[in-house]
Amino acid sequence: MFLEIKDLSVKIENKNILKSLNLNINKGEVHAIMGPNGSGKSTLANVLAGKEDYEILNGKINFKDNDLFDLNIEERAQEGMFLAFQYPVEIPGVNITPFLHSAINSKRKRMNEEEIDNLSFAKLLKSKASDLGINIDMLKRSVNTGFSGGEKKRYEILQMSILNPDLAILDETDSGLDIDALKIVTDGVNKLKTKDNSFLIITHYQKLLDYIKPDYVHVMVNGSIVKSGGSEIAAEIEKDGFQKFQ
Amino acid sequence: MNIQDNYLKNKKNIFFSDNKDIQTHRDKLINIFENDRFDKKNNESLKNINLKNFIDFKYKYLIPEETSVINNNQENSYSIVSVNGQCSSFKDDKIEITKILDEDYNDFSKNDTIENNDHFVNLNSLFLNSGFKIVIKKNNNIKIKISNIITDDNLTIFQKNNYICEEGSSLNLIEEYENKNNSTSNILNVIKLEKNSQLNHFLIQDNSPNHNLIITTHSSCKKDSTYTQKVYNFSEGYVRNFHYSELIEVNSEADLQGIFFLKDNNTSNNKTFVKHLAEDCKSNQVYKGILNDRSKATYFSNTHVDQVAQKTEGYQLSKGILLSENASYFSKPELKIYADDVKCSHGSTIGPIDENAIFYLRSRGMSKIAATKILISSFINEELSSIDNEQMSEIIQKKLVRYLSKVK
Ligand SMILES: Nc1ncnc2c1ncn2[C@@H]1O[C@H](COP(=O)(O)OP(=O)(O)OP(=O)(O)O)[C@@H](O)[C@H]1O
Ligand SMILES: [Mg+2]
Repeated sequence: MFLEIKDLSVKIENKNILKSLNLNINKGEVHAIMGPNGSGKSTLANVLAGKEDYEILNGKINFKDNDLFDLNIEERAQEGMFLAFQYPVEIPGVNITPFLHSAINSKRKRMNEEEIDNLSFAKLLKSKASDLGINIDMLKRSVNTGFSGGEKKRYEILQMSILNPDLAILDETDSGLDIDALKIVTDGVNKLKTKDNSFLIITHYQKLLDYIKPDYVHVMVNGSIVKSGGSEIAAEIEKDGFQKFQ
Repeated sequence: MNIQDNYLKNKKNIFFSDNKDIQTHRDKLINIFENDRFDKKNNESLKNINLKNFIDFKYKYLIPEETSVINNNQENSYSIVSVNGQCSSFKDDKIEITKILDEDYNDFSKNDTIENNDHFVNLNSLFLNSGFKIVIKKNNNIKIKISNIITDDNLTIFQKNNYICEEGSSLNLIEEYENKNNSTSNILNVIKLEKNSQLNHFLIQDNSPNHNLIITTHSSCKKDSTYTQKVYNFSEGYVRNFHYSELIEVNSEADLQGIFFLKDNNTSNNKTFVKHLAEDCKSNQVYKGILNDRSKATYFSNTHVDQVAQKTEGYQLSKGILLSENASYFSKPELKIYADDVKCSHGSTIGPIDENAIFYLRSRGMSKIAATKILISSFINEELSSIDNEQMSEIIQKKLVRYLSKVK
């Protein structure tokens, strides 16, 4: 199994957020999670990425034959996990280009691959940026600082395509994107998709799933997955909302 | 040994001890020390200071030989090695360097604008044993680099320097303090900017743990002049940076900035004070600190706007990153405004490093330590990228890397 979440319960500040959650993802699969606000979708994404504010009450997570809880945040990333944030953090003064360069090299180092030099990296970055319709001038700026909502989301996908992860978690990457940007971004995701990597896509809208075809759709309510199935579930939700799952 | 004993014993060696007026002034100071007993509660200049180092100082009095070297290496560019606070005389058509003179000292003791209850300035006046005067002549554009060297252990330097930038002149002054021996420097810089002159003053401080540096600047700016001061404190020993500016004529500017990097048990006390005494003047006071381990810092900033100083613009900011739970940084901005048409603001943000930013960077594969370092560098990115002197930028970068290498 590629990613296996078993009976996961998580709390934060005396509040139980995830409750006995189970989810399995195989190599090459695309999974979508839909659920009402506050149901715990971002919490799940953050726990997978290793955010330390949460208290894990119970459960196990396996990722590529590792006990995920044995890996710290950066080790998870270096092992091929990537989280596109719902709210990307602004970091003034940290320039995008050297930051991404050092990120990709720390991953390569762990994989015993050769580091990528300045020039090749600059080329790679430029070509990926132009694929995603990102202005070269933006690459001179500080991480997310002063970016519009849509620019931040595009920039998350740029990082994803540079780091080329095995498991990409997209937390509401579609919200804040205009229709053209949505097309560009989903194109980017589809280009990256192979039989060896997997996606976990968190969204509120069926629209995104018209562009990225999921193999499975899960409904998350109140910290648990209450229903799983194919894309027909997304259509159901679009029509009737979450009422009947609660 | 106490202050009075020290004073009596060394009296004949202290500068200007023959001068009657100065004698009277010094007697008054001695009285202050006797009566005040270094009341820590009510005196900002004493807060958070281990006074033992300064009151029981091992006072070794030495009138230094004038071994300083002045080089006029390139046109308009001079480098000076000041030894034990002394500097030889030098003169050409652009600058003039002399030992401090009786008249300069009188000038200073009459100057009541420097806070008169600053004990360390009073000590400086009392024990003065070194210093020099530099005059930049009219309409010249000059660069000076001064390396300050102290030759002996147990030496206490009380130094006063006068700088005069004559009308239309421009001075780029880099001062390096890198002392490795067990000594104390108490330095007072008095800077006068005449009409339409400019001084960019950089102070690079990087002393070893057993050297104490107390440096005080008092600058005054006449019409259309600008004083810019940038302090980079990498010292492992105690440093006190107290810097005062007076904007005495219209359209003048003072910009007092500092960054400090503390670790272990080190302490640094900082203060900036700008007095607006004329219309249309601007001031800026910005200090940033990075504190690790059990280090401590204070920063008092102060803008005083006189009632005639309309259209004043004043800005104060203090920022700090605490890298350890045991580090502390106390900052207090103060504004006293007696004019009605002014724009003044102040802000202060001190806290641990932004955990969300660390998480974001680590989630891309960067190690925690690399993420921490990149965030520290970004915290002072503005200050570093605005250094337009390549050689200095390299020096500062090197020291930053050294500091960061100790961050765990
Ligand atoms: N640091 C925190 N302290 C207290 N409660 C928190 C904290 N972080 C999250 N929560 C709570 O946990 C619950 C789940 O939040 P989460 O962000 O996972 O929801 P979500 O499903 O992603 O919602 P949305 O669709 O609005 O993005 C919410 O009720 C939220 O208020
Ligand atoms: Mg969310």
